[in-house]
Amino acid sequence: MLGRIGKWIDERTHLSDLWRSQMVDYKVPKNLTFPYAFGVMALVAFAIQIISGIFLTMYYQPNVQTAFDSVNYTIMKEVPFMWLIRHVHAAGANFFLAIVYLHMFTGIYYNAYKKPRELTWIVGWLIFFVLLMTALSGYLLPWGQLSYWGMVVTTEIPTSIPGPLGEAISVWMKGGYELGQITLGRFFGLHIWLLPLILLGLVSLHLYLVRAAGISNPEGIEIDKKKEGVPFHPYMTLKEAAYVMGYLAVFFFFVFFYMHHFLPPDNFEPADPFKTPPHIAPEWYLLAFYTVFRSIPNKFLGFVAFSLILLLLLLLPFLDFSPYKSARRRSLFFAMYIVLVISSMALTILGAMPPTPTNAMLGLVFTAGLFSFFLSLPIISIIEWGWYKTRGGDKT
Amino acid sequence: MIKTAFFTILTLVFFYIIWINNVFAPHETYEMPEQYKKIAEDDRYAKEGKQLFEQNCQACHSVRYDAVYPSAIQANPNLKALQEQYGKVLPRDVYESAFQAELAQLKESFGKVPPDLSTIYIAKGKEYLFNFILEPQKVLPGTSMPAVITGKPEETAKIISYLRSVSEPSSSEKAKRTLMGIGTIAYLVVMGVLIWIWRSRILKRMGLH
Ligand code: HEC
Ligand code: HEM
Repeated sequence: MLGRIGKWIDERTHLSDLWRSQMVDYKVPKNLTFPYAFGVMALVAFAIQIISGIFLTMYYQPNVQTAFDSVNYTIMKEVPFMWLIRHVHAAGANFFLAIVYLHMFTGIYYNAYKKPRELTWIVGWLIFFVLLMTALSGYLLPWGQLSYWGMVVTTEIPTSIPGPLGEAISVWMKGGYELGQITLGRFFGLHIWLLPLILLGLVSLHLYLVRAAGISNPEGIEIDKKKEGVPFHPYMTLKEAAYVMGYLAVFFFFVFFYMHHFLPPDNFEPADPFKTPPHIAPEWYLLAFYTVFRSIPNKFLGFVAFSLILLLLLLLPFLDFSPYKSARRRSLFFAMYIVLVISSMALTILGAMPPTPTNAMLGLVFTAGLFSFFLSLPIISIIEWGWYKTRGGDKT
Repeated sequence: MIKTAFFTILTLVFFYIIWINNVFAPHETYEMPEQYKKIAEDDRYAKEGKQLFEQNCQACHSVRYDAVYPSAIQANPNLKALQEQYGKVLPRDVYESAFQAELAQLKESFGKVPPDLSTIYIAKGKEYLFNFILEPQKVLPGTSMPAVITGKPEETAKIISYLRSVSEPSSSEKAKRTLMGIGTIAYLVVMGVLIWIWRSRILKRMGLH
């Protein structure tokens, strides 16, 4: 019976053809490494955010009077299992960003942003950017002390642009001169509708582009997939399913047993515009940008510097025009990649430390490290073009 | 191989450092003798703590999530009718507009409405609360909160036990959650392993291994 229903549907939709062409006949190289699974994990993390977020909206109230109670009483205490949904959503945001960062660093390592995958990289960058906005807007919703003061600091960033423009952007973000109901309302709308919808579109486009260009290769050589490839299903699907189970196991370990980092204590105090909390700092995924901003004595220059980092990241496919691909076969690139990784990590860690003069110095040093990675890419590319020519156009 | 190990370890060390170097961890630490910690963490003292709270603190403070309101509001005849309409735990907007007069009175006396203590346990932790409640001036110089039970550490610990019982799930609920967590994780790990084994079999049959 079920089989006949399935057949009836298939005769009209041709889903099995789609499955065969996209999953079985689609071939992937056999030598993909573990970090290639971060993409699938990011997809799972996105699904988790959407599902848990939809449940949260059933009880959350976007109102300055009742938002805090709707989260801390209704969700956390009153409705059965909603505490779990909140834990999943709050930890999920952090895991999502961690996975996205790892995914990006993987892409940089294997030079997966290079021809023919420039657009895949650019769309990926957009996902990263919109994701940061989504996390920032969501963080305001519980309307606790950190939510409130975190947003006060965030909306002050544009004011480092001199002249009336910065002030105008800041007021536009808040919807007024103060943070209030209008701010909460607009960030709620952004967080649950506009930004996730944009993300959904971008993620679909990203996946389409990944398929269109084919998966990259750790060795940096495009393989002949007809000959050397293995069927995506079941070779990759089951491998990644097993990894995803492992990822979820780690995720739920934190959800059930170590939530205090993802729901910081200070945010269990309702927002109070008259009481500045003793320490305001951004979430860990913004700390590197925060350190860059903080280490540069001039506010406007700080703003320019971290905007430039984002811009250079976007332009990565065009900064690196070497004929070679993958850090595995590019020793100069590998060295600079280490500089990038160490600098990013150090900047993040420095962001969590008090702003002493030594730390500000170190912040400048590692900011320079970050820029040196991006600026070295054109130089490395020119050198590698030289090598490529002397070898007579051999890509290996 | 060396590179894989290097990047894996570097990543794990990095996340470990930002985990322990938590920006949101309280920067000050407070002492609390072990014997009082035990009381504060014990559910059995919550009931007694509630009585002590009613005697010592309710004049000024509410614990709205437990339907405990400042004495003046508790005495207001409107309260019952409102609770029948909205449930025992009144929504904040209803509460604040219905009892505007009482809250304004409190604000006049202390410069601010004494904070609601429903989530204070999670926000501040037992060590801070223990020191603050015993000697408010020492912890927060200039505060308008009077020293009401100075010199009574045991009673203080019991009040904290009550506040904890409002902020946090009960210990039986916590035990349930632990069990649920272990079950979930075990399920995922077993599924992961099973998928891996199944995959190896399929690949062998397909000659792909
Ligand atoms: C006479 C009124 C009054 C009484 C009685 C009173 N408090 Fe307070 N309490 C206050 C005021 C006013 C504040 C606000 C202090 C401030 O922010 O400076 C406060 C603040 C607090 C805080 C928050 C401290 C912080 O750092 O934010 C706690 C916790 C607290 N009280 C606990 C208690 C407990 C427990 C009792 C009973 C043993 C109690 N209070 C009795 C008036 C009172
Ligand atoms: C797409 C990625 C998403 C990210 C990164 C994200 C991130 C966040 C963060 C960091 C918070 C604050 C958590 C807390 O402190 O409790 C939050 C809260 C919230 N989010 Fe999301 N979110 C996402 C998607 C969604 C979606 C799709 C919805 C709804 C359809 C949603 C609904 C909510 C609601 C209602 C809250 C407030 C409740 C609460 O604070 O627990 N989110 N989100």
